Amino acid sequence: MLKNRVKELRARYGFTQSELGKQVDVTRQTIAFIEKGEFSPSITLSLKLAKVLQVEIGDLFWLEEE
Amino acid sequence: MKQDFRMTYPLWNMAFILILAVMAVGFTSSFVNVTKTDSSLSIEAQAVEGFLLFAALIAYLVLITIYLIALQSYNRKNPERKISAFSIRPPEYMEQDEGMTFITRKAVQKVYTFITWSLPFLALIVMLAPIPKLYIVWGILAVAFGQNLIYYMEMRRHLKEAAE
Repeated sequence: MLKNRVKELRARYGFTQSELGKQVDVTRQTIAFIEKGEFSPSITLSLKLAKVLQVEIGDLFWLEEE
Repeated sequence: MKQDFRMTYPLWNMAFILILAVMAVGFTSSFVNVTKTDSSLSIEAQAVEGFLLFAALIAYLVLITIYLIALQSYNRKNPERKISAFSIRPPEYMEQDEGMTFITRKAVQKVYTFITWSLPFLALIVMLAPIPKLYIVWGILAVAFGQNLIYYMEMRRHLKEAAE
């Protein structure tokens, strides 16, 4: 299962879901789906998120055994 | 998102389907070809069917007018995401990014599953049982209603979760 730290890092930088969404060119809802683990983003979107949140992609998303 | 016309579009469809179901009573009845005149009960039934057809036609025209006004208003407010009233592609698809495409696909998969089972089931019932034309039309409309309801409920569930 794909886990992520999007919510934690977004809060650290003080972004709302809408603001983060705007920076990576997606809707607020998509950021919410990612944070809830409901949706696994594409590599392109993952790289964009990692860039905005200033982390390596491996520190933002990782696989966890179920 | 609640105000998004694409989100509420299945509700419009369901309203139109309900009116069509009432209209079907008039269209599938034999009230135009009056043959029996010795039964007052028969005459009353035909009057009711005629009234239902007339009322449904008026309701349909009123609803389609409101729908077109609402669509025009949405298109004015969202010039970058205009919806055509005559588009073949269902306008309720929300595909503005990969996350929205993902939930739309999930909702469409549920609808597809429903259609896969309900249409052959309906066909089987119609083949095996001597069902009047009206009930066949209602059966088809029920499938169309169910399709829109499933899509709407699934999209609403996802978007509600995203809002929490």
